[in-house]
Amino acid sequence: MNAVSEIVQELQTKFSGVPLEPQATRDGIPTLWAPKERLSEILRYLKTEAQRPYRMLYDLCAVDERERTHRQGQPESDFTVIYHLLSFERNEDLRIKVALKGEFPSIPTVTDLWPAANWYECETWDMFGIGFPGHPHLRRLLMPATWQGHPLRKEHPARATEMEPFQLSDDKQAAEEEALKFRPEEWGMKRTGEDTDFMFLNVGPHHPGTHGLLRIVLQLDGEVIVDAVPDIGFHHRGAEKMAERQSWHTFIPYTDRIDYLGGVMNNLAYVLAVEKLAGIVVPERAQVIRVMLSELFRLASHLVWYGTFAADVGAMSPVFYMFNDRERIFEIIGAICGGRMHPNWFRIGGVAQDLPRGWDKLVREFLRHMPSRLLEYDRMVMRNPVFKARTAGIGRFTKDQAVEWGMTGPGLRACGFEWDFRKKRPYSGYERFEFDIPTAQNGDSYDRAVVRVAEMHQSLRIIAQCVSDMPAGPCKSDHPLATPPIKERTMHDIETLIAHFLSVSWGPVIPAGEAFFGIEATKGNNGYYLVSDGSTVSYRTRIRTPSFPHIQMLPLMCRGRMLADLFAILGSIDFVLADVDR
Amino acid sequence: MQSPPDERRTFPVKHGGDGNADEVVRQNVLLTRLQDLVAWGRKYSIWPFNFGLSCCYVEMATSLTSRYDIARFGSEVIRSTPREADLMVIAGTVFIKVAPVIRRLHEQMMAPRWVVSMGSCANSGGMYDIYSVVQGVDRFLPVDVYVPGCPPSPMALMEGLLLLSKAMGQEKRPLSWVAGAQGVYRPAPTSQRDLKRPERQRATELRSPDEV
Repeated sequence: MNAVSEIVQELQTKFSGVPLEPQATRDGIPTLWAPKERLSEILRYLKTEAQRPYRMLYDLCAVDERERTHRQGQPESDFTVIYHLLSFERNEDLRIKVALKGEFPSIPTVTDLWPAANWYECETWDMFGIGFPGHPHLRRLLMPATWQGHPLRKEHPARATEMEPFQLSDDKQAAEEEALKFRPEEWGMKRTGEDTDFMFLNVGPHHPGTHGLLRIVLQLDGEVIVDAVPDIGFHHRGAEKMAERQSWHTFIPYTDRIDYLGGVMNNLAYVLAVEKLAGIVVPERAQVIRVMLSELFRLASHLVWYGTFAADVGAMSPVFYMFNDRERIFEIIGAICGGRMHPNWFRIGGVAQDLPRGWDKLVREFLRHMPSRLLEYDRMVMRNPVFKARTAGIGRFTKDQAVEWGMTGPGLRACGFEWDFRKKRPYSGYERFEFDIPTAQNGDSYDRAVVRVAEMHQSLRIIAQCVSDMPAGPCKSDHPLATPPIKERTMHDIETLIAHFLSVSWGPVIPAGEAFFGIEATKGNNGYYLVSDGSTVSYRTRIRTPSFPHIQMLPLMCRGRMLADLFAILGSIDFVLADVDR
Repeated sequence: MQSPPDERRTFPVKHGGDGNADEVVRQNVLLTRLQDLVAWGRKYSIWPFNFGLSCCYVEMATSLTSRYDIARFGSEVIRSTPREADLMVIAGTVFIKVAPVIRRLHEQMMAPRWVVSMGSCANSGGMYDIYSVVQGVDRFLPVDVYVPGCPPSPMALMEGLLLLSKAMGQEKRPLSWVAGAQGVYRPAPTSQRDLKRPERQRATELRSPDEV
């Protein structure tokens, strides 16, 4: 707790007349309540003046506090806005909370300090109805422009079946299409330049190059991209609202579908956050099983990216080879978990079941097979002159820009910044494995590919160590909140039977509190911020996904490039729309 | 339009000019109604629209790759424009925000056109009974085949495609909008669950999850 008090003390000395109340959280992240009026001053200090500054706005979200009961010691608040900052120099997070009063409160924007706050504030307005005066263009981000209400407010219905059945009349169709129309003036864009008329090209939401439901409106001068406006929200599945009605246990399958190429990797971020909240220690064997399956999914996800990226820049055949190797991974996943893309295999306190007999043979075969394939793909894609010409020097950004915009994962490492949660803050036993963090220097599309390809070799290294050193022992914690409960404990008397029955039917009651857990997922940092009100469901679940800030950064990467480069940039970001919109 | 094997045995292929006229006709002339011929052509060249919504689309794309190879059934020609496609696979969650887009794309496909609803979300909303999701694409589009699964495996999608192909072969559509009977005849859809239940109920040994 020493390190925790350091920044808190620093702030309290610096801002000595300002009431800054610390709050204890389960995750140990220093948390401070700041007054709304002094917020921008405090954030500015943290970002620009403080020693070892907090340069990344890691997340910005809100909580509707009106129905929360366990708030001991916290200032009164109807809605709380939370700024989650990250300092690389300190390797520490900081959470600044601001209490807001009233039905539709507002809080000054921080977009002048962090351009990345733009989308986060739009999202908070869209989901909670919290205003951000001074924001350059506050608008609906995830919901349709015609939507009534703000979904994450507690009074908004969660279920579609609680609302009017969906109907698509001709009038509604026309109104929705009208609302989707792009008007450059609303974005402060000019229709004509000095000696040219700009063309506005609509790419998506249905377009093979956008890898899903993403819409990008391009302002073009001939074939040169003057500006781009990504329009998201077409893939918003309401996962955060869903978490407020599923039990802690039954929300796990929904996490699989956030980054739907990452499979159990999503489970991992979520269960680690729940375990932190509940104080569950996971046995070693379960940890290693989790790491092995997660790394297999990192490979599967990178293989999909590899093939589709090559296809994006014109190479048709690689995707067929890479999907074949993905099938080999799915053979292992299928043998262990019984599923393919969404195995839903991790549980609170461990994994669903121990490894089946003969699993190691399958994995060993795969480990023998894969390295030579990767070398061949190197020849096929990475050393291909056309691929190089299409990607080298394209979509470049610097390390500072990446940090400014909240970029994490391979995109950040391609700027020469060695930052990986698996090394910096080892979780789930990553500290026991030997592996390297690949980096590259140029921060362009090609280097992002270089980093991912090198990461695949490292994943194979980690998996090999999992196979050779798989610890013996239980694959499930014997903590009473581990779910589903251990069967041997039941059938002793009526008490044990009732406890078992409740744990299975209602799920565990996770103690009140707050915890965040971030992991190095396939596409960058994925984290779950959970607020428990001491019940069988989460009071608020915030999912910090990597693809959201990455897509927000897109205009920066493609301004001044040719139209065809857009797809060489999109492919190199490696995003999943469910990971953007949740 | 192959004749059954036993029929072929009665009329062995002969070379040279010793066959009578009937036999020559039988070997070289295919007699069918134009309507059936067109349906036969359609059922073996279903061109899907390259359109995906979410997770299911990844499995739909997987069905195109070598392990599954949907080209075996003549459907590898995915078209990126709706105007060249016959089949729209609703692969993924139907979001309220994207529903008008889906309908517009469906309208842009030229008739005859078919719709396969792939996966639980498109079938009924599935596990997403949530404010932003339409509870089944059939709320605003006609669906020909429903493929269950979350996501369905590429095999399941291909089974759906074969069911559709079979139904297309039996469809009767007017060849002209002036002559002949109008209106489309479609065979009644069958529930695979009902058809397969007896066989599934006979299963007595299930694979143990403890073995790979």
